[in-house]
Amino acid sequence: MLFNEIYGNYYNAVAEILKYAVRGELTQQDIYEITDSKAFAESVLSIPGAMNSGEWPFLTEELTTPLHHEPKMPLTTLQKRWLKALLEDPRIRLFDVPAEGLEDVEPLYRPGAIVYFDQYSDGDPYEDENYVRNFRTALQAIREHRKLQVNFRGGTGRRHNWVCVPLSMEYSLKDDKFRLIVCGVEDNNIINIARIKKCALLEEYAPEEVSEISARKKKLVIELTDERNALERVMLHFSHLRKETMKLDDKTYQITLWYDKDDETELLIRVLSFGPVLKVQEPKNFIRQIRKRLEMQKRFE
Amino acid sequence: MAYSELIKDFNKIRDYMRQFYVYGFKTRDEYDAKSARSYDNERRRIESWLGDYMSFRQEPSGKVSFISVDSAEVDANPLYNAFKAKSFTANDIVLNFCILDILQPGVKLGVSEITDLIDEEYMSAFDDPKVFDEATVRNKLKEYAKAGILVSEKDGRKLVYSRSEDTVSLDDWQEAISFYSEMDPVGVIGSFLLDKMQKHPDLFSYKHHYILHALESDIICTLLDSMTDDCTSSIKVQSKRKSIVKDYEVIPFKICISTENGRGYLLAKDCNSRAFNMYRLDRIQSAEKGAFASRKAELMESAEEFTSHLWNTSAGRERTLNHLEMTLHVKRQEKHILQRLNREGKQGYVEQIGDELYRFVIDVYDATEMIPWLRTFIGRIEELKCDNPEVERVFYKDLETLYAMYLKDGGEGDAV
Repeated sequence: MLFNEIYGNYYNAVAEILKYAVRGELTQQDIYEITDSKAFAESVLSIPGAMNSGEWPFLTEELTTPLHHEPKMPLTTLQKRWLKALLEDPRIRLFDVPAEGLEDVEPLYRPGAIVYFDQYSDGDPYEDENYVRNFRTALQAIREHRKLQVNFRGGTGRRHNWVCVPLSMEYSLKDDKFRLIVCGVEDNNIINIARIKKCALLEEYAPEEVSEISARKKKLVIELTDERNALERVMLHFSHLRKETMKLDDKTYQITLWYDKDDETELLIRVLSFGPVLKVQEPKNFIRQIRKRLEMQKRFE
Repeated sequence: MAYSELIKDFNKIRDYMRQFYVYGFKTRDEYDAKSARSYDNERRRIESWLGDYMSFRQEPSGKVSFISVDSAEVDANPLYNAFKAKSFTANDIVLNFCILDILQPGVKLGVSEITDLIDEEYMSAFDDPKVFDEATVRNKLKEYAKAGILVSEKDGRKLVYSRSEDTVSLDDWQEAISFYSEMDPVGVIGSFLLDKMQKHPDLFSYKHHYILHALESDIICTLLDSMTDDCTSSIKVQSKRKSIVKDYEVIPFKICISTENGRGYLLAKDCNSRAFNMYRLDRIQSAEKGAFASRKAELMESAEEFTSHLWNTSAGRERTLNHLEMTLHVKRQEKHILQRLNREGKQGYVEQIGDELYRFVIDVYDATEMIPWLRTFIGRIEELKCDNPEVERVFYKDLETLYAMYLKDGGEGDAV
């Protein structure tokens, strides 16, 4: 259904090249640049050749084309059905999308057809009008490079009133929560959207003057013993992090992971969840925290 | 056959990409490929599609190629590129652009007229023109009508084709598509849409973002289509040992996905058996929509009942409920532990049984599936009881091993 050349990078690249040709503006350099930006790394070895040689007869030697109109393909039924399915997702309320043009198709799937069986049960309140309003205001601030005044309750229940620069809207499927990544306030850079009481747009800022929060990545080195299918389980579990794996012998592997410093406690319990098939090798502080938990546990015996 | 970065069969590349991404420690010699040349070609293709996401490391045993992605730092799933590399013939691409150029809004034409126009208006511009017969053009028109790009209708005795009406305002959908293209199990469809739009700065980033499901998009899409139309599906499932591929005719009910590792399953009932099963999506090699499943409606309630007692996806061999109780010591300032029990404990419940003492209680199929989650409370577990003896045995045996691994020298002085 969806593995089809009409959705492919080659068709997109050729459509863009022909757009320039229809306008009478195409150059050889355009062909290479468009191919490079719209297709794959090695596509320059095939697309320009096929266009210029007449294998795909679209361009004359003068780089004009017999096509009369800039290429445009209507949406396929599959694309419309997917959009229609999204209309029934609770999070769609966050986006002010029109349903026009989708009346004549069935949704690709219905609510309940997809289940996230270990998703946390205290996800964001997508039905709450104040939540939706705050989400949209924050997203507008990111889009328009505007500062934001945010009145919210912190994790400990304390009230805060910040003026900050919102950088991006982070979503976690596991938590089913949106968080606003901000800068401009010392030592704090994440605000749960559900904790915002109200927020207001402020003046524009120059994006080039805002330095992105530096990635505070830390390195974790673990040794894995491949028992009970541990290799596959661990590799999948940590596959969302940058990692490197080395095979030490038939049953032992060394895995290096890079993680966000703020997520250390979460990573600690995720490592513990695998039991003795994982042994932390560094950093020392991480090992110390595991020992602490084990010693606490031992006191109950 | 000459090398091409485009492919005809997705299954061949799927396994390579999975191994490059998930494992990333194998050298060329360790792949179970038919030939070294096949490995070289597939690696070269993936390298071309993924660019900088493909990394290399030299080890004594050889060069190791792997896909390295911190998915919190990418704004678009790079694995979707594999679905944008379908091969095609010169006739396919020529007909695509000529037909859509001819069938502008309001134009309705039959196959003969379209064939003539391609010849007269388009191919005549070239010295050595391609010649298309009516049958070739008709096949492409039918294919596009089936995909919904064109509409066919009778004009008297003649079948005429026109461009489908498209009134969806994609610009108004852009941010939603950008979000769902990453978060939806068939988000690759959104990625196709984004490719046709002006690129805007990305407003979203993602945490706990597993991108590997992208490689199962085609399978999931077919299964969802079968579910929506209450049809059966014919699936080919690879065995655990990879040596056998079995065919099943199933009634599909749900796509079940873990947010903790990204792995997906199909909840379905085998038409030839009484039980519901979970089929791992990464072991399904192909799926085809079958006939209308008349029994689906009556089985839906049983499917819901089945899933309501699962911890993850296993019902255990006996398919009976296990009763589990975990007593935790939770200090007054540790409210987050109680929050965790409530939000992660699924159908279980928590009761206070003493000062700083809480009991988590649950009845669940195959409580051994809970062991990894139970371990996350190490440090606070006063007692663990389960009527499935395997749970206590494995939990406490592993705990002893952990003590030996980390505390055998008595721990560090500042460990507590």
